[in-house]
Amino acid sequence: MLEINELRKRFAGSPGSPVAKIALDGISFTVRPGEMFGFVGANGAGKTTTMRIVMGVLQADSGSVSLRGEPIGPGDRRRFGYMPEERGLYQKMRVGEQIEYFGRLHGMSAAAVKKATDDLLEQLGLTERRNDAVQALSLGNQQRVQLAVALVHDPELLILDEPFSGLDPIAVDALATVLQERCRGGVPVIFSSHQLELVERLCDSVGIVSAGRMVAAGTVAGLRAAEAGELRVVVRDPAPGWADGLPGTVTVDGDRHILRCTGGDDQEILRRAVKAGRVEHFGAEQPSLTDIFKEAVA
Amino acid sequence: MNGLMLVARREIMTQLRTKGFVIGLLITAVLVAAVSFAPKVLGGEDSYTLGTVNSQQLPLQAAAPDTKFEWRQFPDENAATQAVVDGDVDAVLVNGTKVLTDGQVDGELGVLLQSVNREVKLGAAGVSIPPLQMQSVGADTRYESARTGIAVVLVLVLFMLIIGQVMMVAMGVVEEKGSRIVEILLSTVRPWQLLGGKIVGLGTLGLINMVTILVVGLGSAMASGIATDFPPGIPGLVAAVLVWFVLGYLFFAALAAAFGSLVSRQEEVGSVLTPLTMLIMIAYLVAFYATNDPTGTLATVVSYIPPFSSMVMPVRMAATEVPLWEVAVSMGAMLLAVPVVLAFGAKIYERAVLRTGARLKLGDVLRAK
Ligand SMILES: Nc1ncnc2c1ncn2[C@@H]1O[C@H](COP(=O)(O)OP(=O)(O)OP(=O)(O)O)[C@@H](O)[C@H]1O
Ligand SMILES: [Mg+2]
Repeated sequence: MLEINELRKRFAGSPGSPVAKIALDGISFTVRPGEMFGFVGANGAGKTTTMRIVMGVLQADSGSVSLRGEPIGPGDRRRFGYMPEERGLYQKMRVGEQIEYFGRLHGMSAAAVKKATDDLLEQLGLTERRNDAVQALSLGNQQRVQLAVALVHDPELLILDEPFSGLDPIAVDALATVLQERCRGGVPVIFSSHQLELVERLCDSVGIVSAGRMVAAGTVAGLRAAEAGELRVVVRDPAPGWADGLPGTVTVDGDRHILRCTGGDDQEILRRAVKAGRVEHFGAEQPSLTDIFKEAVA
Repeated sequence: MNGLMLVARREIMTQLRTKGFVIGLLITAVLVAAVSFAPKVLGGEDSYTLGTVNSQQLPLQAAAPDTKFEWRQFPDENAATQAVVDGDVDAVLVNGTKVLTDGQVDGELGVLLQSVNREVKLGAAGVSIPPLQMQSVGADTRYESARTGIAVVLVLVLFMLIIGQVMMVAMGVVEEKGSRIVEILLSTVRPWQLLGGKIVGLGTLGLINMVTILVVGLGSAMASGIATDFPPGIPGLVAAVLVWFVLGYLFFAALAAAFGSLVSRQEEVGSVLTPLTMLIMIAYLVAFYATNDPTGTLATVVSYIPPFSSMVMPVRMAATEVPLWEVAVSMGAMLLAVPVVLAFGAKIYERAVLRTGARLKLGDVLRAK
């Protein structure tokens, strides 16, 4: 279990941007073993900063990161897999050698790294490109190599900063499959993304960060329950003024009147609608993660 | 330590595989061999073919033991003249009284012929002159020109190799910083391992270069025969040069890493390294001056000051005989300076290498926590 506890980080001003910037303002969350954790938030909310602190690439001003109750150190981080926001690979190095090199740096034996590289290249559809220099690959394929670098040593925790950006739908599915596989093996996976439908589809838990604080966290279902669903009623050709006194707003589309509201007595609304005209639709809309997100960061 | 060795190995393998490295090494080897053979090709002959017409051969060999003489006999002056004009012989002694040559006689040969001829004639007349005994009361200057030659080659080689490898360190640091590979690397290895591996790897390549130059240089010097003019103590000098190269390289490489980590783009490497290249240039210029005046005040004083000593001292050692204690003091100072500079370089590197973007100021990096 990974625990992020009250992280704070302030960037001092520089000649280019003289004002100091508070990037993290006491962010806390936990990720359980085998959990896929979606990390969402507006641009500049502090996702990358948090991940860099977990990876030890940045130092927090205060707060702690612990794994199974112990503060994490360099030894733990060697067993993590990390895909940074700004991708970085040796452009002139060959794909296979690059993956093997990082595996060795993570402490793998030459034989083990060879096998792991073969498997990953196979899984990510890069076997034919093994001996190509990275710079000869398309951006999306370079991203697959970057992922392979993060996965080669069978990490016990995965931290991926926007791993899906720039991938085609097929590559997204391939990557999603790989991540789900690792996750089922008990590895906690944290990834940030702006593709909320994807997060909704893949993640067990979601954390919404805004201005350096965690404003909502939990399972997608849990967040939905907390967020009252919106009631949507469609009435065909109702008597005018039928919705007077009811909560919510009415929009008119031809002879259809659409009432949207949250809260209020749904049974009373139904009675009024039936009296007013022909009810074509009556139901609670599930809030999407996008709705929850907009609500949370508002 | 393992991380450091892996990083070093990658540096070495990457370079060894490039065409540039192999071609560079070949070119250096050819150049060094050419330099070693040059004195032989360009310098005066030290073998002469001489002829006689109706004369006794002169005992030149006894007067010039290092030179080879070959004698031929001609039936008459006409045949001898033809041979001289054709270049078959350098000079022909006719009737024991005159010498035929093609144009002006070679200076050394002329003096030799005159003095040996005089000696033989006087001896025949019963006059014997004991040869003058030469005794030097100053420094041993027998090997002076060989020493200067070696020193000049050495200063060039040290300069080229140090500045070349040091630039590679800086460019490697910037490559990793600019492409943000450091971010993954530093989540796996410690900054000192990454930097140490780079310095060790590129230093090893520098040593491979240096050893190639020394082996090819000494080998061709022996093959061409100029090695016979070399002063004694060459093995000691070779060992000293290797140690000084390593020390100088470590010092400058640590600074190159520190300066390099301040920028994120290759185009900025040149300008950010300017103070460092100036430092190396100064060492080079003083060392070059020392080839000519190895015992002068400038060369002597600077040969104690790190990091200049790493180039000036080996050059002085090649150009003259430097007392052992002087070498020991100078090397001691450098041995103290190198760890300090390495620690400083590693500190700057560690603080700066993750701060991508605009060029950082050294002062800001030092002040920042
Ligand atoms: N090196 C830095 N120097 C100064 N400010 C920084 C630095 N890195 C991040 N910040 C600031 O910290 C805040 C959080 O940035 P961060 O990169 O963590 O956001 P993010 O959530 O990853 O955004 P995005 O979705 O755009 O990737 C931003 O306001 C950013 O300007
Ligand atoms: Mg980010």
